[in-house]
Amino acid sequence: MTQSPVLEIEALSGGYNLNRPVLHDIGMKVMPGEMVGLIGLNGAGKSTTMKHILGLMNPQKGEIRVNGATRARDLEQYQGALAFVPETPLLYEEMTVREHLEFTARAYGVERGDYEARAAELSRLFRMEEKMDSLSVHLSKGMKQKVMIMCAFVARPKLYIIDEPFLGLDPLGIRSLLDFMVKLRGEGASILLSSHILSTIENYCDRFVILHQGRIITQGTLEEIAAAAGMQGQPLEQIFYSLVQDGRS
Amino acid sequence: MMDLLQLRRKRSGSFWGGIVPYFGYVLQSGVAVLFLFCLIAFAAWYTAFVRDLPAGLPIRWIALVLLAPFAIGGGFRTYLQPADIVFLLPQEARMNRYFAPAWRGAVIRKYVILAILLITFWPLYITAEDQAKPFGWTALVLAAWSIVASLGSWRELTFVSRRAAAGYRLLRWAAGALAVAAWLWHPAGRALLFIVVLAAAYLAALRLPPRLRVPWEILIAAEKNHAARAMTVLGWFVEVPGREQRVHVRRWLSGLGSRIPWEPAQVYRYLLTKSFVRSDMFMIVLRAGVVGAALAYLGGQNLLGSVVYLFFVFVIGVQLSELRRVHSESFWLSLYPVPAGRRKDNAVRLIFRIQLWYAVLMWLVFIPSLLGGQPLQAVYMLAGGLAIAFLQRVYGKRSRKGEEEDE
Repeated sequence: MTQSPVLEIEALSGGYNLNRPVLHDIGMKVMPGEMVGLIGLNGAGKSTTMKHILGLMNPQKGEIRVNGATRARDLEQYQGALAFVPETPLLYEEMTVREHLEFTARAYGVERGDYEARAAELSRLFRMEEKMDSLSVHLSKGMKQKVMIMCAFVARPKLYIIDEPFLGLDPLGIRSLLDFMVKLRGEGASILLSSHILSTIENYCDRFVILHQGRIITQGTLEEIAAAAGMQGQPLEQIFYSLVQDGRS
Repeated sequence: MMDLLQLRRKRSGSFWGGIVPYFGYVLQSGVAVLFLFCLIAFAAWYTAFVRDLPAGLPIRWIALVLLAPFAIGGGFRTYLQPADIVFLLPQEARMNRYFAPAWRGAVIRKYVILAILLITFWPLYITAEDQAKPFGWTALVLAAWSIVASLGSWRELTFVSRRAAAGYRLLRWAAGALAVAAWLWHPAGRALLFIVVLAAAYLAALRLPPRLRVPWEILIAAEKNHAARAMTVLGWFVEVPGREQRVHVRRWLSGLGSRIPWEPAQVYRYLLTKSFVRSDMFMIVLRAGVVGAALAYLGGQNLLGSVVYLFFVFVIGVQLSELRRVHSESFWLSLYPVPAGRRKDNAVRLIFRIQLWYAVLMWLVFIPSLLGGQPLQAVYMLAGGLAIAFLQRVYGKRSRKGEEEDE
């Protein structure tokens, strides 16, 4: 039986100004159990694409479906199927780490027992046990980023939208995050991940979507994009550098 | 070279430029009329009270409680911003020029408040006190001590150790209370000598702990709090956008909210409960409740006590209505799968419950009335308090109609 994509973007154009769209005709899919790397230079449109998926921006053209639902037709199903980790931590200053996790679990309708088990596992994994009852305002930047990641993971939706997750994380934190993402993928979750650390994500992502100046210049597995660029056997960083330097589209 | 005085003037102008336009709305909100009414009522009550003083009035204690806090407390407005750590750091050696107006402003502010208080209080003091001190000397002592306390308060900000700063804060209040008490209780000459010695010892003690030249992070945090407080006060009367709230740990209250039903429809209530217990508003409402109950009790089991009780139930409701604006533009609530249209319901329900609790707890001061042969009056009071809470709930639901449609 053919699996339906968890995320499906069709002919998406959008941006902040109707006359000057940032994204042009974006089309991509993320399948169940797949980790896809969304890569591009600063201003290529990665965050704008994510904002459109999250519903923070409305498409000027095209459609986005998450788990078969659109925001217009079934908002709750759409939102319940995805979790987001932003590039900059956005936390409620007046809540502790534990309360953030509980707040997220409540919002996603996670059973209390599941929440408690997941919160314990995540706090152990990210070495945050001692900080669970600290207010977020008293955390370092890296710890705040860990809380963001833990909140997304406590919800266990079908799709994770993760924007530059490694910023501020220590090496152990990065390793824990990658390991956990692999585990989730193994359990059938899908991940759309944006990062500039190409050497790291090269080994973890199943496919890559390369954005340049608001357009997808190529997408596929590492072998496929290497073949398309005529650079078989080269690392992702080299291929990416070559593609954006040439300005191919 | 950077003109630091000009920079401070510009920042101060910018802050007040953002505040002043709201004053018109504050006056329109009926505050001016209410203030005038309270002033007239207070003047009438005060005149009658001074004319017919109760015997054995602890006037020295009243003077101490009224005057000492204004001579000891007070903060500094620096208008520092987080980016100053980077951009003003090279000017650190010259920052005294920038801070001088903050100092002057703090002292002048204290003088004005003390003057108003002293002039208002003086008729009561000289009527009740057999051995009243001269007005001029009292004003001078308070003015002098407010300078000493301001110096202490500034030094506390610069201490490297936050524990030392907390200790010295305690010392400032203890020394200040002692100085004012000495002036009120003892003969002028002896009291003055004691105050001078105390000031010298306190100032010498201030030199002991290691200090930072400019405590950037502390001043920036303090400034943030000052600005937030100004906006909070303004927010009692008018809608003020983008206000920052102070956060207090209050571990003893961390369990509140945990028993809220575990379902997405109640998640906003959970968030609001957590925000409320760690906000300034929590203490403001608590203080209003305690003061309201105390005044209602002192007002007696009669019309005055009843009016005071109902007034404070209303004021608490008004203050709590601020909660409706908290997280009204929350990023996560727009992203999480929270059922649409439940925020208003959650906020109104939480506000109503808290107000109901206060209405009942404050009503307990009428228990003597209940037991003392006037049970109907006590029951009417409770009914009145609950009715105010219900009416404010209805108003809250209606006034949020438009906002709810935006969710």
